[in-house]
Amino acid sequence: MSNSHSDTILLHPSSQSDIDEIENLIHASVQSCPTTVLPARPSSPPRASIPISSSPFIQSNIPPPPPLSSSTVRSAPAVPPPPPPVSNSGSLAATGFGSSPNTLTEPVLDTVKRDLSRIVSNLKLVVFPNPFREDPGKALRDWDLWGPFFFIVFLGLTLSWSASAKKSEVFAVAFALLAAGAVILTLNVLLLGGHIIFFQSLSLLGYCLFPLDVGALICMMEGNVILKMIVVCVTLAWSSWAAYPFMSTAVNPSRKALALYPVFLMYVSVGFLIIAID
Amino acid sequence: MDLSQASALAFYILSTLFANSFVIIFVITVVLAALDFWVVKNVSGRILVGLRWWNEINEQGESIWRFECLDQESLARINQKDSMLFWWTLYLNAVAWGIFGIFSMVRLEVDYLLVVAVCFSLAIANIIGFTKCRKDARNKIQAFASRTIASRFSSTLQSAFSLV
Repeated sequence: MSNSHSDTILLHPSSQSDIDEIENLIHASVQSCPTTVLPARPSSPPRASIPISSSPFIQSNIPPPPPLSSSTVRSAPAVPPPPPPVSNSGSLAATGFGSSPNTLTEPVLDTVKRDLSRIVSNLKLVVFPNPFREDPGKALRDWDLWGPFFFIVFLGLTLSWSASAKKSEVFAVAFALLAAGAVILTLNVLLLGGHIIFFQSLSLLGYCLFPLDVGALICMMEGNVILKMIVVCVTLAWSSWAAYPFMSTAVNPSRKALALYPVFLMYVSVGFLIIAID
Repeated sequence: MDLSQASALAFYILSTLFANSFVIIFVITVVLAALDFWVVKNVSGRILVGLRWWNEINEQGESIWRFECLDQESLARINQKDSMLFWWTLYLNAVAWGIFGIFSMVRLEVDYLLVVAVCFSLAIANIIGFTKCRKDARNKIQAFASRTIASRFSSTLQSAFSLV
């Protein structure tokens, strides 16, 4: 519907429909609210910078409305994103969305970078020794499942490569064992009365697989059984050490062993898989 | 967006043409499905329907679902066809993986059932997330509208009394 985006507010009954009046009030409240907390953002780049084919979706240049005040976290002030051509689906380099700090309209590259940096920071937090680490129960707040996904697939691939026969079964077994094992371990903690979020614990157990990934890679290249056993023992200890703080802070101190023993058992079984593959 | 979903489905169907080994089929299908999940969640959702959802854990250790939506004018400006395309392909994707799951159950191929289970759960996750997000957006709009109606009502009353 065509609205007049004028500044005058008509408070007395007029012949406008209700919806028009509400929309006018929205504009009025928008324009009368104090300047928002958003930092000054540069204006969105000209539309011509988007790679365009002859696409029917490009709208005419509509000036962005002033943003609503971002008082609550859940409201989303936005510059309306210019819809890119649908043929752009595969490319992740569309950067013509405007640079509002709001995540809804950020460029796609920013989202990719943000997710990747989250994976790296989670990995550093979980696996590597860090004396300045804050309370481990609260760490890994930014859980994500991409890291664990990559690690599980990588471990399955490595095991499958090392196997000389029955490669697909090895892979399927490894993948199913790790995925189901993570779910069951999480349920174990929850049933013991622990305070941990389901996905947070899944993500944690996945990240703790990283040392075993390294161990499997080394074992793939080495043939000596004694060396493999040493490598696996070292990486197993590293994985368990990495998982210990998170698991132990999540449950009652009297039930710590009950929560930690299955984790250790699962990593031991993965270690055996790595050694036994020939 | 539907390109990425279609590529995962197509690779699964035509997998025997491409590779002999189950491992490669599994990995590529699951990787394509995961990429498609990411693309739909982060790119298509924002562009086609202006919605975005994610999960955070706050200081007390509780998990909160956060939803974002465009403000009302931008929502009104969203192309109706875009929105229908988005939702329909989301549902069709889940239905297609469900059918493949039934097929592999009937043929008792547990390996392929694993692949289908992973892709199906990714599709369901996206559906649930976006449905919750849309409901939340509608609630927000209603709340905002009722707030403005209430404020308008009270200001009308005030102006009426001031005139008296």
